[in-house]
Amino acid sequence: MRAPEQQPSGQQAGRRAVVTGLGVVAPNGVGTDAFWKAVQQGLPVLGPVTREGCTGLPLRVAGQVNDFDPAGLIESRFLVQTDRFTHFAMAAADLALADAQLATDPEAPFAIGVVTAAGSGGGEFGQGELQQLWGQGPHFVGPYQSIAWFYAASTGQISIRGGFQGPCGVLANDEAGGLDAFAQACRTIRRGTDAVVVGATEAPLAPYSVVCQLGYPELSLAEDPQRAYLPFTEDACGFSPAEGGAMFVVEEEAAALRRGARIRAVVAGHAATFTGTGGWDRSRQGLARAIQGALAEAGCSAADVDVVFADALGVPAADQAEALAIADALGPHAADVPVTAPKTGFGRAYSGASALDVAAAVLALEHGVVPPTPNITEVRHDLDLVTGHPRQVRLRTALVLSRGLMGCNAALVLQRADDDPKRYARR
Amino acid sequence: MNNPVTFEDLAALMKGRAGLAVDPWEMEHQPEAAFADYGLDSLGLLGIVSELENRYAVAIGNDPETCRTPHEFLELVNAQLTLGA
Repeated sequence: MRAPEQQPSGQQAGRRAVVTGLGVVAPNGVGTDAFWKAVQQGLPVLGPVTREGCTGLPLRVAGQVNDFDPAGLIESRFLVQTDRFTHFAMAAADLALADAQLATDPEAPFAIGVVTAAGSGGGEFGQGELQQLWGQGPHFVGPYQSIAWFYAASTGQISIRGGFQGPCGVLANDEAGGLDAFAQACRTIRRGTDAVVVGATEAPLAPYSVVCQLGYPELSLAEDPQRAYLPFTEDACGFSPAEGGAMFVVEEEAAALRRGARIRAVVAGHAATFTGTGGWDRSRQGLARAIQGALAEAGCSAADVDVVFADALGVPAADQAEALAIADALGPHAADVPVTAPKTGFGRAYSGASALDVAAAVLALEHGVVPPTPNITEVRHDLDLVTGHPRQVRLRTALVLSRGLMGCNAALVLQRADDDPKRYARR
Repeated sequence: MNNPVTFEDLAALMKGRAGLAVDPWEMEHQPEAAFADYGLDSLGLLGIVSELENRYAVAIGNDPETCRTPHEFLELVNAQLTLGA
């Protein structure tokens, strides 16, 4: 197992990263307000898979983004050369940039970079072109196949469309990529870039992509949307996949303050580990190390954690490993810290899932509300999983956890901006 | 014999293959305007060449892909299509 990365913290390097914009495209809502309303209420939106070409496949339940009209949001010249996962990314980036009131400055085009994570790329677009290949011949494959399927497509298209010529990157990663992208954005900011458009989106609900996922033993094939994804319970039977994700604007704190931006949260710490695919019990040590590394970078103790956004895979061995990892890393505090997993209401959008958890965590910190874990009643682990109703509690520090099917583990610490004493000492 | 490809045809191809709304009249009357001025990149032009080759069942070759302007492009393409007829 690789040790958690030991980067100098934002504080040490003197360039802290803060979140100034949120953009969400999720099965339970497009836009931050709709998303938060649904998350706070614990609205379950998992439902039958209705996508063309998918209805005859063994996957019955997923989180579909149904209220999304790409043609109304994205220029057609970008639509024709991109997959749905990039449509989500461009739309979410627009929302985040509008929230942050940030646009590229023609005088300083290198001031803004882009970082995205993706676990599968543009499966639907790729399938269409492969059908052309086998149906009509190589000459009928369009040239945009060369870029649309690619994991890096969203970063590239957001950069081109917005004129963001700062450092760009992509993490071709599993679920944890949605948190690791924040680490890369923070590194980019420490190295001198003022702002990074960062996040992750996925669109895995197309026939080829669904068939690929059928090979995952963790995938839930249950038929009842309310019973398909029940992590931390006796009835856990895998996870329901989802599409969508979130994009953010992360800025260097002083630059954000100079332009009068609203600081929504501080990206305080991150660490990642890799424990491979040899059994979910191995993720216990990896996730615990990631939590410890992220807290150390944030300068927090275990007792400072006010809420945990769990990975919540829904596989008994994985749930057990996560509960134990939280206990290993947080000690006695693990039994009384509120834990939540809003994604049980709308599914796991792979790398987009952890990005959506970051969005939910920022909103939870702002509202002083721990949202509930939809569809869950009886919890079999020694965790204070918030179920049923949202819980009002003063929140300063949120811990977001993610594990991927390919063995990555990551933890991200977010803090409220407005009662961070360090920030005011520095002004 | 094939009918020549017109500016209307080209505008329709730019819309269909590359998502670009271009006025054919404007294209015809501004011979110096480049594809880049209309937002068409090299991949977009490649897609248009493939579409024409499939439509006319004629190999157009690689030269049209290097054309800078719509005028140069149509001149070359129509010469190729006439040759093939």
